[in-house]
Amino acid sequence: MRRSSSRSVREFAGFALPGLFLYGLLVLVPIGWTVVLGFTDRNRFAAATHWVGFDQFQRLFADDQFWLVLKNTFVVTAIVVVVPNALGLAIALLLNSNTLLYRLLRSVFFTPVILSGIVVSVIWQSMLRPGGVLDQVGWLSDPSIALYSISGIICWQMLGFCVVVYLAGLNGVPRELYEAAIVDGAGWWRRFGSITWPMIASAVTINTVMLLISGFKVYEHILVLTNGGPGRNTTASIAFDVIEKGVRGDRIGFAAAEATVMLAIIVALSGVVLRVLRRREVHL
Amino acid sequence: MRSRLTVTLAALLTVALAGCTQGGKPADSAKSGGGTVELTMLTFETPNLPASLWDSAIARVEQKVPGVKIKKLVTPNVDRTTYAKQLASSGQLPDIMIAVNPQGFAEGGQLAEFTQDDLKDFADPTSGAIKGKIYQLPTNAQPQSLLYYNKDDFAKAKITAPPKTWAEFLADCGKLKAAGITPIAVGGGGQDTFASMYTWVGTVGTDVYLSDPDFSKQITDGSKTFDDPAFVKATDKVAQLAKLGYLDKQGTSRSYADHEKAFRAGSAAMYPMGSWFATSADNDKPKFGVGVFAWPSDDGKAVVPNLTGGGLSVSAKAENVDLAKKFALEWTKDKETSDAFTKADGTFNTIKGYQPPADMGPLFKETLAIYNQAVKDQTVTPALSIEQGDNGLPADMTVPVQQIAVEVLNGKSDAKAAVTKLNKEYASLK
Amino acid sequence: MKALRPIGAVALAALFFFPVYVVVTGMLKPVKDIQSSPLGLPMPPTTANLGAVLGREDGLYWSALLNSVQITVLSVVALTLLSAMLAHYLVRSTARWTRPALLMLLSGLMIPPAVILQPITQVLGAVGLMNSVVGVVCANVAYYLPFGVFVFAGFIGGVPVEMEEAASIDGASRFRLFWQVVFPTLRPAAASVMIFLGVWVWNDFLTPLIVLGPESGTTVTVGVYRSVGEYSTNFGTLYAFSFLASLPVLLFFVALQKQFVAGLTAGAVK
Repeated sequence: MRRSSSRSVREFAGFALPGLFLYGLLVLVPIGWTVVLGFTDRNRFAAATHWVGFDQFQRLFADDQFWLVLKNTFVVTAIVVVVPNALGLAIALLLNSNTLLYRLLRSVFFTPVILSGIVVSVIWQSMLRPGGVLDQVGWLSDPSIALYSISGIICWQMLGFCVVVYLAGLNGVPRELYEAAIVDGAGWWRRFGSITWPMIASAVTINTVMLLISGFKVYEHILVLTNGGPGRNTTASIAFDVIEKGVRGDRIGFAAAEATVMLAIIVALSGVVLRVLRRREVHL
Repeated sequence: MRSRLTVTLAALLTVALAGCTQGGKPADSAKSGGGTVELTMLTFETPNLPASLWDSAIARVEQKVPGVKIKKLVTPNVDRTTYAKQLASSGQLPDIMIAVNPQGFAEGGQLAEFTQDDLKDFADPTSGAIKGKIYQLPTNAQPQSLLYYNKDDFAKAKITAPPKTWAEFLADCGKLKAAGITPIAVGGGGQDTFASMYTWVGTVGTDVYLSDPDFSKQITDGSKTFDDPAFVKATDKVAQLAKLGYLDKQGTSRSYADHEKAFRAGSAAMYPMGSWFATSADNDKPKFGVGVFAWPSDDGKAVVPNLTGGGLSVSAKAENVDLAKKFALEWTKDKETSDAFTKADGTFNTIKGYQPPADMGPLFKETLAIYNQAVKDQTVTPALSIEQGDNGLPADMTVPVQQIAVEVLNGKSDAKAAVTKLNKEYASLK
Repeated sequence: MKALRPIGAVALAALFFFPVYVVVTGMLKPVKDIQSSPLGLPMPPTTANLGAVLGREDGLYWSALLNSVQITVLSVVALTLLSAMLAHYLVRSTARWTRPALLMLLSGLMIPPAVILQPITQVLGAVGLMNSVVGVVCANVAYYLPFGVFVFAGFIGGVPVEMEEAASIDGASRFRLFWQVVFPTLRPAAASVMIFLGVWVWNDFLTPLIVLGPESGTTVTVGVYRSVGEYSTNFGTLYAFSFLASLPVLLFFVALQKQFVAGLTAGAVK
């Protein structure tokens, strides 16, 4: 994929600079800054900041709340990666036809993708609150359900994206393959397993990456729907907790340590994702 | 030559992007132009305190302080203290703020101090002091939790008078429940976790602060922890209410506004809430008669958890600190503004000699009478998680306390589990 | 069996669409009807809720709309150009550091903005860009750059390099070469980048909330959040605000829908 040009590409370096400059200034520097702060006792109102080595990390790992919040993040991400992926594929198979009706239905499923997390949360909050249209089992007030309610809402929002990506993938499968398979007497599952699935591999990858991103960064939904509750941090994610402690609270050093752990997890995961992407022939 | 062109163009694009820096900002010239200073003022909007009320008050006080032009800022939700922190963390602390807990900001040197001379007209000039100094004008007293009740429900359950002791209170809850009425309303969903506090605020008032008003201070200096027997007992009272089915548990997902609406619609017989509900009910009467009583202690004292404060603070880095302070004081002394806030939000102004407007509604007057009686009986206490200054818990405890309150309300934590969690939270702050 | 498929599909879609139905009918009803018959059609429909949002005394919706449009347009244009240029360089260059650079960019793809927001405000404050539309645009460009690069790089990889070589032999300047020869071939990818980022930037919450700050107003998305408390007893108005906040981005998407699907098929999914 990566080709060497006979021209001296160095001349294009000027093209790369503005983007890299901004990325460096507003992503890399903040990342570095976060990591550095994680080794200090910085507090919003303290006069001085000291180096404390790994103290913040030790306290972080000793804190039940951190593990709870980390677990929540993974639960939400896992649900958000699996459910829209699976349902999205099923619905894409159902809608895989180019008639007006199915194209219309496609748009129906896609609409929530275009809405903001805030708007989506406001809508669902109005339906799930006590007295709302869908008020049944304490969707947001029962601590053993609320996290799943939030995950479900994010799935609702992301489903259409997966549907459209899968439809695009299915569109690329040559008809002849199916026809040949039918001639060979292969059943639906056989055809799906040996033709459809391998051909839409890159769609699976794209969806998985996008869903991973959405799962990790979940913030607004929590803010609007539960504010981290009901109860202590029952639905708080790492992103939510970092803002809670470092931006809305005073413990900047502690929040930075928490953010650093999150960054380490992301770097490790990106490594895996990148390897998968390359194997799956997604062009990079 | 050519590559330089590319670099130049790329650089130009970056500069062009950075060029319109002044974009949405008020131009600097406006700040100094014509001898007026533009100061920002952080306000918050609730159903009781709409934008129009703020705008007219600002316009009125601007007239009294020549040379000041106020730019109103609005918090995105009711929680103005965390929003002020959010702003401070990016160097945008407003010049003037209202009802922001000064804790932390003051110790960090971010707020201007009010002198005793500034405070000579205040009835309670030391309230909310931080290391003995005042950073937020103690403009008003506001009972934070009282029990407002549905008179029809009480009649249906054959309760003739509000309970005087905790035992009577429990008995009345039992009668209500037996009559098929949920005794106590619960709220605090969505962003409004604060609304879940008021029951606990009540029992901690009767069982902890009444005999030990310095409890939070003792927590801070380490001489007490949350498993102090009195605090456990207060917490257990709430846990018992939950266990006996006296609380509307589903309510924990009700937003603050929905919470009030549900009580107005008859969801429960009692509504633990601050005095702002009195004016709300006076201004827009529910279909049933509303009464009010203070939190009954075991031995029959009527306890009123209260916050005196609620006034304006001034940033130490304000464009012109003196003018900002002058504005803050004039705001407080402006009778019309005080009247407007009293009418809208049920506050009791603590400027010497202030009298609330004569046409205040009956529930407000009843609430005020309860407060005045409590002042006389010395049964006014601090309010857990709402208290400020030297006597308050560290500001970073507020959210954990509110969230743990929800766990007690919905029965997830009993008293012991709750205080253990509180101790852990507190330890993790240090 | 054959008839089951369309019926099933429609039923599923209807179920899925239910919340949108609640919002759209809800905003056309008076408040009391939302409580009493949340599912009924608005008969007769009222525009009072929409009017209340559009005619707010503080002009919140309109000022927020202006901010949102400015931020989205500037961010998307800058992002499309910068990420196309960067992706082109990274794919075509033989320099050793482009590989780590690409890796570094891609790991940025998954970082939640919340995690690094605090230092971002410090950097923006240091260069005097806090509280400004430009500050938000810069933060957006930096944060979403990896995504643009991701899409463009995938696409450029599939464009034969010979075309560029031919053009450069003809003596075209690099600048012209890129804009006249390379960029036009990237159009489908540019379309999907613009659509994705347009939607994301429009819907962003935390960055505008904190970087734009209160002094420069809000975006419509933050505006919805701000009005939650205010309208929480009046869902009709809250729905109307949500609808009006989403309308521009919905129209934007509908207008570009064709290119979006084309871009998705051509660029991202190969």
